[in-house]
Amino acid sequence: MSHVARIELEINDLDSLKAACKSLGLEFVPDQKTFAWYGQHVGDYPLPEGFTLEDMGHCDHAIHVPDAQYEIGVVKKRGKYTLLWDFYHAGGLETALGRGAGKLKQAYALERVKKEARQRNYRYLEKKTDQGIRITLMVQ
Amino acid sequence: MKSIVIDITNEGEVKIETKGFTGKACIEESQFLKDLLGHETARQLTPVYYSKANQKEVTRKHLPLCG
Repeated sequence: MSHVARIELEINDLDSLKAACKSLGLEFVPDQKTFAWYGQHVGDYPLPEGFTLEDMGHCDHAIHVPDAQYEIGVVKKRGKYTLLWDFYHAGGLETALGRGAGKLKQAYALERVKKEARQRNYRYLEKKTDQGIRITLMVQ
Repeated sequence: MKSIVIDITNEGEVKIETKGFTGKACIEESQFLKDLLGHETARQLTPVYYSKANQKEVTRKHLPLCG
């Protein structure tokens, strides 16, 4: 081993996000400009950085989650995509996707690495671990 | 065998480890993953990082001198 790095995930590839949605059984709805949420911000948590109250409910694309009343908004800003969503329990998103939509982020990272590994012709191994998923890329 | 191990937790946190590289090659070879997944928030270098690539072990033989 020569170094270990921790990465803060950013979503910058829509195809990988679509593939992640498919793998989780979610419906990616392109060009849907609004997403379902509680409808008013009650101030109990901060909005994502760079977003205002007026931005809530508006998006470039949306993700529909089966069995959830609320939806996820996908907003493009400065070359990357932000997921906007209301985690109020009645909306059902946290129940379906885990805290912070972790399952969707995990599926996205997996698809993004898989796509790049294919392009670079790296040998790719994937296995489940207690904490999540481990991918091993064999480098020539 | 050189490899890059990517752990993605169920909370969506990503950790990358490089194995089998010597010196700075590990940083260069894994940079593409950091660029495509987001940005690096922490880095821990391991002893192998400090070893130079193609470093050859030199054995010095000393002749015992008397007198």
